[in-house]
Amino acid sequence: MTAVIAASNLSKWYGNVLGLNDVSLEVEEGITGLLGPNGAGKSTFMKLITGQMKPNIGTVTVRGQKVWNNPEVFSGIGFCPENDVFYEDVTGWEFLTGLLRFYGYAPAEIRERAARALDIVDLAKDKDRLIRGYSRGMRQRVKVAQAIAHDPEIVILDEPLSGLDPLGKRKLIKLIKDFKSEGRTVLVSSHVLPEIEALTSRIVLVHQGKILAQGDIPYIRELIEAHPHQISVRSSDPRALAARFLGDRSIQKMTFAADGRTLVVETHKRDDFFGRLTGVVLEDGIEVEEISSPDDNLQAVFEYLVGK
Amino acid sequence: MNTPRSIREIFGFFFFLGRRTGKTRVFALLGLIPVVLAVVVRIVLHGRSGDIAAVFTEILMVFFLQFYIVILALFYGTSVTAEEVENRTLSYLITRPLPKPAIVLGKYAAYALLMFAMVAVSLTLSFFVMNAARLREPALYLTFLSYLGVLGLGILAYTAFFTFLGTVLKRAILVGLVFGFGWENVIQYFPGSTQRFSIVHYLKSLLPYRPAPGGGGKGVALLLFRLEPTSTLLAVLALIGIGAAFLALACWLFRMKEYLYEE
Repeated sequence: MTAVIAASNLSKWYGNVLGLNDVSLEVEEGITGLLGPNGAGKSTFMKLITGQMKPNIGTVTVRGQKVWNNPEVFSGIGFCPENDVFYEDVTGWEFLTGLLRFYGYAPAEIRERAARALDIVDLAKDKDRLIRGYSRGMRQRVKVAQAIAHDPEIVILDEPLSGLDPLGKRKLIKLIKDFKSEGRTVLVSSHVLPEIEALTSRIVLVHQGKILAQGDIPYIRELIEAHPHQISVRSSDPRALAARFLGDRSIQKMTFAADGRTLVVETHKRDDFFGRLTGVVLEDGIEVEEISSPDDNLQAVFEYLVGK
Repeated sequence: MNTPRSIREIFGFFFFLGRRTGKTRVFALLGLIPVVLAVVVRIVLHGRSGDIAAVFTEILMVFFLQFYIVILALFYGTSVTAEEVENRTLSYLITRPLPKPAIVLGKYAAYALLMFAMVAVSLTLSFFVMNAARLREPALYLTFLSYLGVLGLGILAYTAFFTFLGTVLKRAILVGLVFGFGWENVIQYFPGSTQRFSIVHYLKSLLPYRPAPGGGGKGVALLLFRLEPTSTLLAVLALIGIGAAFLALACWLFRMKEYLYEE
């Protein structure tokens, strides 16, 4: 498949700070998820491919065309920025119709497109309210609306799900999936693995300005599985619990926390451990008060991968 | 979209936005100061000579020429590009199929028209209130038109300069204040060619020259004092040239420069 967006050896630094380091990536049709913790370089990459910044080294093209100072390329790109910023003194309708003027549409078409985009993001009935008075979720949705109102072939969404309530997230995820079925190319960033997982199986892991790994969900899952999980189990009898797990080959290490009631387990096979724990609780009647997994998050996975 | 069409669309959007901002409301209110002053002077001058009204009109012109248009141009001109960077709304503009210079030119034109409207309303009201006793004199209307023209040219030149400053510098307002109320106020009184390095010199050169009654050819306007005025044609050309040059520079820089949002 031909790359829609092609970045080759991209590097970008801000003074002494390296924002992106020798990144090469080809984005194909469909949904690609850019996953990484805050400050990983996702937004920098998105700004480079939308011509908002110029790479210090490397090249970036969209459909074979350069993006820096090439306004024609933007007819086919919709961009939703991460920042919660707007022209605050206008209504949602005025914001959209105002921005749609920049595509050279006739007034009737501008109105039609704005109405359709606001309808898609469920803001039709609030279109005449000032953006200043919108809730965080509504602001996020109007930002998405301005990115899709001109029906772009390529949609680039920087953290579009942040600030949305669960229902809003579900609707937006469905909308993004619809883009895919319409044959569009979507590049979406997030620092939350389940959000990206819900959108696509094609993931690019970004960390400290570098692409750490890229592949489909099973591959990323494998990487995550390889990461030793730390699980804390607070129990009425942690020593009895520990005794039951002695000799279990899936467990790498067991320690007791300072409170004397919590058993801290390190394992590569989290699901196996939980399965056995359930059995132990049921068979031996050991009371478990709390189970937590402090490092079961993306940051921990990244730290593990970087350390590897 | 081609550049002229892009300029037109940007102009339309920002002329609309500009009317909505709190900044415009504040500056429109500021424009009421000379109107109130004119009403007060009219009441005090009731039945007195129209010549004194003319003197007060010149004092009003000092407000317009050396304060109102400078402060307007400073705040609107520097904001042409700087407000997009400070408010982080630049992403909404530069990810559209618009040539970057069209963004600068369209916003410049929108803000310049907005400023001219504020100045025109304020000048019209204050001028005709002040000179209500002379409304039958045709010369009065010519004076009014020349004042309006001078202020219009001033807006064009100052706004272009401050647009350039806003495009180059992060804290353009401070530098602009020093230029507008420091440099401009001092350098215009330097003899020889030094005074020609100020915009206000060319603006004052265009003002109607009114000799003092029995003043032996000396101008009465103390605050509008001018040393060696440039000829009308040259002054107009200089102001247009200053405006065009700084706008061209601003467009070029905006196209080449990469703007990073402050975290």
